[in-house]
Amino acid sequence: MHLFLLGVSHRTAPVDVRERLDFTSRDVGAAAEALCARASTAESVVLSTCNRSELYVVSEDVARARQDLIAFLSEYHGLPTDAFVSHLFEREDSQAVHHLFRVAAGLDSLVVGEPQVLGQVKEAFAVASERRCSGPVLNRLFHSSFAVGKRVRSETALGEGAVSVSFAAVQLARKIFGKLEGRRVLVIGAGEMGKLTAQHLRSQGVGEIVIVGRTQSRADEIARVVDGTSAPWSELMTVLARADIVITATGSSIPILTHAGINSVMHRPRRDPLFIVDIAVPRDVEPSAGDIEQVFLYNVDDLRTVVQENLSRRSAEVQRAEDIVAEEVSRFTAWRRSRGAVPTVVALRERFDAIRRSELKRLDTRLVGLDPDARARVDEVTRLIVEKLLVEPTEQLKALPDEETQVAYTEAVRRLFGLRDGTAGDDIPVGLRPRGSARANDEDP
Amino acid sequence: MNGLPLLFYAAAALVYAIHFARREPRVGRAATTLLLGAVLVHTFVIGMQTMEVWNAPFASLPRAISTFVWLLALSYLYTELTTDERAMGVFILPILVALQIVPAVSAGAEPADPLLDSPWFWVHMLSLLFAYASFALAGVLGLTYVLQFKEIKKKHLGFFFSRLPSLQVLDVMNSRAVTVGWSFLTLGVIVGIVWASQAQAAAPDDPRLQAFSVGDPKILVTVLTWAIYSFAVVARRSMGWNGRRAAWLSALGFAIVLLSFLPINFFVRTSHTF
Repeated sequence: MHLFLLGVSHRTAPVDVRERLDFTSRDVGAAAEALCARASTAESVVLSTCNRSELYVVSEDVARARQDLIAFLSEYHGLPTDAFVSHLFEREDSQAVHHLFRVAAGLDSLVVGEPQVLGQVKEAFAVASERRCSGPVLNRLFHSSFAVGKRVRSETALGEGAVSVSFAAVQLARKIFGKLEGRRVLVIGAGEMGKLTAQHLRSQGVGEIVIVGRTQSRADEIARVVDGTSAPWSELMTVLARADIVITATGSSIPILTHAGINSVMHRPRRDPLFIVDIAVPRDVEPSAGDIEQVFLYNVDDLRTVVQENLSRRSAEVQRAEDIVAEEVSRFTAWRRSRGAVPTVVALRERFDAIRRSELKRLDTRLVGLDPDARARVDEVTRLIVEKLLVEPTEQLKALPDEETQVAYTEAVRRLFGLRDGTAGDDIPVGLRPRGSARANDEDP
Repeated sequence: MNGLPLLFYAAAALVYAIHFARREPRVGRAATTLLLGAVLVHTFVIGMQTMEVWNAPFASLPRAISTFVWLLALSYLYTELTTDERAMGVFILPILVALQIVPAVSAGAEPADPLLDSPWFWVHMLSLLFAYASFALAGVLGLTYVLQFKEIKKKHLGFFFSRLPSLQVLDVMNSRAVTVGWSFLTLGVIVGIVWASQAQAAAPDDPRLQAFSVGDPKILVTVLTWAIYSFAVVARRSMGWNGRRAAWLSALGFAIVLLSFLPINFFVRTSHTF
């Protein structure tokens, strides 16, 4: 049984190819279902985001699975194979595990450490699991990937620090005011920039938003969009006096807020701090206003510097995150290896038990004089002997360090005890059993 | 006996520092658990000593410091558990460890002056110790506010930015700590005055009681402390002294408390020494 991954990502395919292979715009669930109905795949999950479309499957025969998946992509999206095949990448077994764990950790994202991708991985798995397309291997794999994402988030600073100007502004506002609920926002300038920032702040749950613009009709328009109010230009200073957060984005060539003007509104008892984000070029706020006590003034360049610092801090954390990924990959492969030993272990047990039962049967005539209680005890004792003899070999087989040793050991065990393939019913790989029985041990065995 | 809580506090301090640097939630929980353990052990030690000599757990200076450490640890734990902010621990724990050294190295409890065998004494001392614990907390909050403020103002969002709570939270917590501390300081001082005048009337021939005056260094420092924190409370309410100025004031206030009380208690013999 192999784990196989085939797909495109922002690293291998340009956006127009990714768009055409995108599953999110259609029904991802249906795609997952169509995929797991294919003969070569025992389990499957479709992970599709705007940066990647990846198919994770468990299959007996990788070469067949590859062909099948390419055919599936071609049929499902109605594309000729050569339109996308050169952009595909593939991974097998522990390489595929490594890839998924890096994706879940945010290491493979366009913006390293972005948190959304973990949610998308969870969603992809939930959809597949709902339609019974995932089985024991992918269940374990995806649950492990969630744990990786969580560990990286909590143990490293990979996802910390805003990496876009507007997020940096919101993050700063949070560090100054704590919760943004009930905070009053003043947006000066009725342009596109002002509108976008106001929308962003609205989604962060701020209280009142007031738009002040030179053109009243446009200010009204934006106020409607962001669920705020507008005020005439002449009332600018009155609104400023009550504001906690000010966004300025006008096209004015001279400063709109002067040091003296801001100073006058700050000299009121119990004045909370004032956070001014000046995203206009040329600047709308006199730079010296930043020296006023309790005024925090950031312009576009300041915010870009913050973003730059955050990005470099994130990249310093990449190695720690990679270490976590590597650790979890080896934990997962150890689990898979222990499962690889299962058929041999089962066969060995069957064999021992068969010998035990045949010996008991042979002695049946001599044991017939015993009372039922004593006979039951004989049965019990022989069973315990077999159990105890098998404890150590079972554990050793499951704990073998690498694939090669495992093959050698299982081969040796099969030879030494004369085990033939298929001596045990459970020898049939889980994925090839009828669907119902594979579900029986959905979770970790 | 006070060495055992000291060990616990020191261990907790170490774990809080690791948590501050690495920010692993697991380490943070371990730190809180250790501190909780330290407080429990400390409670037990204080209880045992009180039973042993049968007087208040602050009848001598080392024991008063021990009780102060215990109260500060409790107040900090309360703040941590109610706000879910662990970042302040790295600042509070070193204070606990440093102060707990005093009772840890001094001899066991000694019998106290019979003069102090009064319920007034309990109210007086507990109020003052609790007031100073609140001021210690406020001082640390003030210090962290200033650190955070500097980073945001200078537009260099570095080490503290990602670790400390928001300015607003720090300011509100600081305000509460100062108000609570000031209230208990006032209560403690009033009880002290009432008690002293009663004791003076009851024992007119005790020279120590007759020598009580505002000129006494210990009483002078207390008056100074009261003046500083009264100003902090009034300035915040009517002059708009919040944020950085309030933060500075509370950090300064606690520095004065710490730097004046310890030397006075150790090196200066005053009329207020018991």
